[in-house]
Amino acid sequence: MGIWYIIKKLKIMKTILTVIAIGLIGIVAISCSPERAALVEGKSGVQLWGETCMRCHSTPSPADFNDTDWSTIEMHMRVRANLTADESKKIFDFIKSAN
Amino acid sequence: MKRIILPLIAIFFVGIVYAQQEDKPSKTQFMIRGYGSAGFQSLNDEGEKESSFNSGTFAPIILFKFSDKFMFETELEFAYENGELETALEYANVMYSLNDYMTIRAGKFLLPFGTFMERLHPSWINKLSSVPLGFGHDGIVPSSGVGVELRGAFDVYGSKFNYALYSTNGPKLNDGSMEPDEAGILHFDNYEDNNKNKSLGGRLGYLPFTDSSVELGFSFLNSKVGNSDSDYENVGAKLIAYDFTFIKKINPLGGIIDIRAQYNQSIVDDANYYEPDGLGGSEEYTFNNKSDSFYAQLSYKPTTSSSNFIKNLEFVGRYSELNTPEGAEWETNQNQTAFGINYWLSWRSAIKVNYQITDGTGGHGGGLIDKKQFTIQWAFGI
Repeated sequence: MGIWYIIKKLKIMKTILTVIAIGLIGIVAISCSPERAALVEGKSGVQLWGETCMRCHSTPSPADFNDTDWSTIEMHMRVRANLTADESKKIFDFIKSAN
Repeated sequence: MKRIILPLIAIFFVGIVYAQQEDKPSKTQFMIRGYGSAGFQSLNDEGEKESSFNSGTFAPIILFKFSDKFMFETELEFAYENGELETALEYANVMYSLNDYMTIRAGKFLLPFGTFMERLHPSWINKLSSVPLGFGHDGIVPSSGVGVELRGAFDVYGSKFNYALYSTNGPKLNDGSMEPDEAGILHFDNYEDNNKNKSLGGRLGYLPFTDSSVELGFSFLNSKVGNSDSDYENVGAKLIAYDFTFIKKINPLGGIIDIRAQYNQSIVDDANYYEPDGLGGSEEYTFNNKSDSFYAQLSYKPTTSSSNFIKNLEFVGRYSELNTPEGAEWETNQNQTAFGINYWLSWRSAIKVNYQITDGTGGHGGGLIDKKQFTIQWAFGI
C-alpha cells in the first residue's frame, strides 16, 4: 500500500514536471525569434519607461529629479530591477530629455 | 543611546557635505532617497481590541556614485516601537559593473530570493500595509545576506533573462540551547558566520514577452546552518522559491492589472533538539523540519477613467499561507486574506486603507489564531 502510494505520487509529480518543462520549452521557442528581437531593439525610451518601471512601481515623473540625480538613480535601478544595459540607457535618456 | 546618536550624527555630516555640493555635476555623485510611512491601526486579536496611531518608519537610502561603473548604496531604517527608536541596516554594499551583462556586489544586500523582499517590500511600493505570511519577522524567507553577488540581465531573441548568483554567510540554525521554543528555526541576518561553510544561492528570471508583462522566476539557497564544533555542524538547509509576475495595461478593462505570486519552501536536515521537562532535565525530540509559504496578489488600477479621482484609486486583494513543521515548538498553520483600497496622491505617495483577516493554529502563543486588523497607512517615497 505504502509503496504503491509513493509510486503513484512519483508518477503524478513526473507528469506535472513534464508538463511544466514542455510548457516552458514551448514558451521559450515561441517567444524567441529574430522578428521579436528586432521589435525589442526598436523600442523607444518612452515605451520602455511605460512598460518597465511599472513592473515594480508607478512610472516616475521625469521632472522630479535633475539629470545628475537621474544618472545616480539609473545605476541603482539598473542593478535593483535587473534592467538590461539597452533598456536602462533608453529609459534614462528619455527621462533626462523630458524633465 | 549610542545607537540613536551615531546614525543622527552621520546623517548630519552627510547633509553638510550635500549642502556644500556645487550645482555643476561632478564625477562623484551623491544622493539621499528613501521612503517612509505613518498611519493608524486597529487590531482585534481573539476578542482583545486595541487601536493606535503609529509613527511608522523612515528608511533613508544613500547613494554614492563614483563613476559610471562604481557605486555604493546603503539603506537604514528608523522605527519607533515599544517606546524606543529602533534602527536597522537594511543593506550596505559596493557594486561594480564589469560589463553590460555582469555586475558584482559585495557587502550586505537584499537577497534575490523570489521578488517580494528585493523589489516590492518598501512601503511606497507594497500595495498593502503588511507583508504576506512567511516574510518578515518569524518568516521563512531570507531577506538579506552578507557576502558577494554576481548579477545581470540580457536579451535572447526578444525574450529577457536576468540572473543572480551569490554566496553569503548563510542562515543560522537556532539549536534551542538558548531559546528552546525556537529550536529548528533559521535566522537569516548573520553579520558573522557561525560555521566555515558559505551559502550558495541564486535566482533566474525569464521574461518571455517583448512588453515585459510576464516574469517567471526560480530561486534557491543551499547552506550548512549549524554552529561549528557542535552536534549541529553538519545540518544543512535547502530553500527554494518560485515567483510569477503579470502586469499589463488592459484597455478593455480600463486599467492596469497586476498579479504577483510566490511560493517558498524551506527544508532543514533532521536533527535532535531538547525541550526542558520542568524538572531540571530535558527531553530529546525531533521533527521533519519542512516549512512552506505562499502568496498571491491581484490589484487593479483604473488608469483610463475620465475621473481624476477614480483613476488614482487602486483595488488590491491578497491571500497568503504559512505552514511550519508539525512537532516543532513553533508549529503553525496560518492563512491570511487582505483587501485594500489605495489612493495615489502621486507616483510615489499613496494612502492605503486595508482590512486583513488571519486565521489558523499554533505560533508562539499556541492555540487558535484569529486576528482582524484594520489599517490606514500613508506611504511615500522620496
